[in-house]
Amino acid sequence: MKIRPALTVLTCAVALALSGCNLVGGSPDPEGSAGQVTVTVALVPDPPGASEFYRQQFDAFEKANPGIAVKVLENPSDQQLNAVELMFQQGNAPDLFRAQDDGMDRMAARGWVAPLDEFVTPDFLARFPKGSMDPATSGLHRDGKLMSLPLVWGPWSTLRVFLYNEDLLKKSGFTAPPKTWSELERMATKITADGQGKSFGYAPTAAKAVAVEMLADTAVPYSVPASGIDLRTGKPATASPGLVEAVELHRRMQAAKVMMPGWESWDGSRAFKEFAAGRLAMYPTPPWHVAEVRKLAPEIKMGITGLPVPDAGRGAYLPLSKSFSPLWSMSAQSKHKAESWKVLDFLSSDAFHSAYYQKFGTLTALEGAWKADAEKNPDQAAILKVAQETMRRAPNPGLASAGGKAITDALAAKPDLKSTDAAFSSIIKNQPFAPAAAKLDQQLQTFLDQTTADLKAKGKTGSAKDLTFAGWDPLKDFTPGG
Amino acid sequence: MTTTVERRAVRAPDHPRPVRRPGRFRRHLWSYVFLIPLVLLFGGFTIWPMIASWWYSFFDWDGVGSPTEWVGLANFREVLQSEAFWRAFWHSFAFSLAAIFVEMPLALVLAILLNSSWLRFRNLYRLVLFLPVVATTAVIGIVIAILLDPAGGLVNRILLDTGLVDQPVNFLGSTSTALPTLLSIDVWKGFGITLIYWLAALQTVPKDLQEAAAIDGAGFWRSLRFVTLPVVTPIAIVILLLVFQRSLNTFDLVRAVTEGGPDYATDVVPTYIYRYAFDPSLQAPRYGFASAAGVVFGLLTLVITLLQAPFLGRRPSGGKA
Repeated sequence: MKIRPALTVLTCAVALALSGCNLVGGSPDPEGSAGQVTVTVALVPDPPGASEFYRQQFDAFEKANPGIAVKVLENPSDQQLNAVELMFQQGNAPDLFRAQDDGMDRMAARGWVAPLDEFVTPDFLARFPKGSMDPATSGLHRDGKLMSLPLVWGPWSTLRVFLYNEDLLKKSGFTAPPKTWSELERMATKITADGQGKSFGYAPTAAKAVAVEMLADTAVPYSVPASGIDLRTGKPATASPGLVEAVELHRRMQAAKVMMPGWESWDGSRAFKEFAAGRLAMYPTPPWHVAEVRKLAPEIKMGITGLPVPDAGRGAYLPLSKSFSPLWSMSAQSKHKAESWKVLDFLSSDAFHSAYYQKFGTLTALEGAWKADAEKNPDQAAILKVAQETMRRAPNPGLASAGGKAITDALAAKPDLKSTDAAFSSIIKNQPFAPAAAKLDQQLQTFLDQTTADLKAKGKTGSAKDLTFAGWDPLKDFTPGG
Repeated sequence: MTTTVERRAVRAPDHPRPVRRPGRFRRHLWSYVFLIPLVLLFGGFTIWPMIASWWYSFFDWDGVGSPTEWVGLANFREVLQSEAFWRAFWHSFAFSLAAIFVEMPLALVLAILLNSSWLRFRNLYRLVLFLPVVATTAVIGIVIAILLDPAGGLVNRILLDTGLVDQPVNFLGSTSTALPTLLSIDVWKGFGITLIYWLAALQTVPKDLQEAAAIDGAGFWRSLRFVTLPVVTPIAIVILLLVFQRSLNTFDLVRAVTEGGPDYATDVVPTYIYRYAFDPSLQAPRYGFASAAGVVFGLLTLVITLLQAPFLGRRPSGGKA
C-alpha cells in the first residue's frame, strides 16, 4: 500500500470530521416544513410540570399560527443563564429566552436583548393593570425601552407569607398564629417540645438565612437585608438593630433545638414537603409554596397570614419596588422577530395566563385572568389579603437613576458583602451577629467608596447619593419625588 | 514428488546504487498518523483549556467576548489572600488524605483477601464493592440525604433505637460533622476502583515466586512482606498518584450532597471555582478570577505531587527471608 495517497485520504477524513464537529455545533436550526418559521424558546422546567404545560400551550399556539413552529430548549434553572450565554457566543442564540430579574440585566448589558417597543400597541399594554407599564416603574424598561415581559403578578416576587398548621398549633394550645417575634419563639418552643421529635414548631425556609431576611423585612427597610444599604441614608446598615435581632431570634431557636433539625442542608422544596407532611408547624415563605403544599396535602388545615413583626412594632413593610419582574426577552440576534413577537404576544395573552394560573396556582401579571377565581379560593384570597396588608411601594435605586443602577449592579456582583453568609454562620455556630455585621458595614463602606472612585475615573456617575431617598418612610407608600 | 527450482543468478549491477534507507520519521510514519487524532483531541480538550485558563487568569473577564481588561497578577493576589480559597483547599486536601491513608490501605487489605483462591464467591464480592463506583452521584446524594436525615432518617433511627446517641446526629447540617460525613461517603464511593487497581497489581505477582517462597518455608506474612509487596510497589506508586489526583478533584459528590455547605464547611476548590465561574446569582461571572483559582490549585497540586517524588522513588529493601 502506498503511503502518500492513504495519508491524503486520512488527512481529509480527519479534517472533514473536525469541520463536521463545528458544523454540528454552529449550524442554524433547520426551518420547518415549507414556509414555516421555527421560533426557539429557551426556558426552564420550573415549577414542576412546566415542561408538559409549555409544550401543550405551544402546540395550541402552533395550531392557531400554522406558519410558526415553536422549538423549546430546556435548561435547569440554575444553568439557564450560562446556557443561554453560551448559545449567544456560539452564534446560535434562541429567539426568545427566560431571564429573570438580574438575569435580564446581565443579558441586556451584553446587547443581547431586543427592545420590544416597535411591537407593542396600546391594546397590548391595556392588558396589564393600569399604570403598571410606566417605563419609570414597570421594572421591565431599561433606558426607557421595554426589554422584557412579565409572567407573574407584580407583588408575587417580593411578597412573603407565614404558613401555619392549625392542627399542630391547636395541639399545643394555640388558637392563632404568632403576631410578634417573641410569640413566634414561645409558640415554636412549645410545639417542638410537644412534638417529641415527630413534629417541630419552626424552620427557616431553606439553607442559608432566607428566613432571617424575610422577618427582617418587617423591621428594617428591605434594602438592608437585601444589600446592606439603608436607602434612607445611603449608608451601610447591616448592624441595624432590626436585622441583628432577626438573626439573634434564629440563633436562640437553633441553640435551643427548637427548629427542625437538618434545615441547614435543605433545598428550596424541603420546607413545603415537611409542612405538607404535618411535621412542620410554621414557616415564612414566598407565596408559591402555598399551591405546592395544597397539591401534596389537599386536606391540610393550612393558615396563611402576614409575617410576625418585632415586639416593638413593625418597622417596615414588604417592598413593592417595581410593577413587575422581568421574565421573557427577545434576542437581539433573532432573525424572526415578527414571529417571535407573536409567541411573546401569546405568552402575554389572557388565555395563556389563565391556563398558567389554573395549572400552577400562581397569580400572574394579567390580573383579569385570575382575580375573580382567586377571590373565591381561600388560599389565594388569603395571599391577596396579606399582600394588601403587608406591602407598600418602595424606592428602587436601580430604576431611579443611571448612577443608582451602576452602584446596585456593582453591589450585586459582590455577594460576599451581603449579610446572608454571616447571618447563617452566626445561627449555626451560635455566635453573636453584631460584630460580624459591624465588620460587614466597614467592608461595604470601603467598597462603596472604591466603586464611586472607579466610576468617576471611567467618567460615569454613581455614588451613595444615588442610593439615598431621604424622604422615604418604609411604613408608607413611596412616591417618587414626594 | 520433488520440484527443482532453479535459482536465478542475480546479476550485480555495474554501478551499485546506494540503498536509500527510509528515515526514522518515514519508518514510523503510520505510528505518527495514528497519533494524530489523540494529539488533536488532547490538544483541543486538555492542553488548550489549560493554556487558555492561564491567559484568562490575567484578565477581569466575565466569559463573554474576548478578554480585554488586563489586571496582571491582581486575580492571583486575590486568590492567595482569600480565606475562602484556603479553606476550600484544605478541604480538598482532606479528601486526598482520607483516600490515601484510609481508602488505599483498606482496599489493599480487601484486595489481598479477594485475591485468595480459597475464597468462594470472590467475583460476587468484587461486584458488590464496585457498585458504588458506577452509581450516579446525584442519586447517591439524594439517598444519603434521606438516610442521614436527623428528623426521621434511617441511620438516626437506628442510632437512637440502639441507644448509641440520645439526640439525632445532624450529619450534613452541622459544621463539625458535614466534612467527615462527606469524606466517609467519598471513601465508600471510590473504594471499588482502588480495589480494582490493587487486584490488578496483585495479579502481576508471579505464582512461581510465591511457590518458591512457600517451598523456602515463608508463611503468609513473610510472603506478603518479602514477595508480594516488593513486586506490587511500582504499581502502588501509580495507584497512589491516581487516587491522589481523583480525590483532590472531588466535585460532584459535594455538589450533590451539600453544595459546599453548611457555612462552607464542605466547600472544596472545584466548588469554589464553580461558584465564581457559574453561579447564576452573580450579576457577571468572574471567569478570570475562577481561572486564576484553577491555576493556583493546579500549581499547588503539582507541588504536592513533586513533594511525594522522593518517597515514591524509594523501593522497599526487601530484607532477608
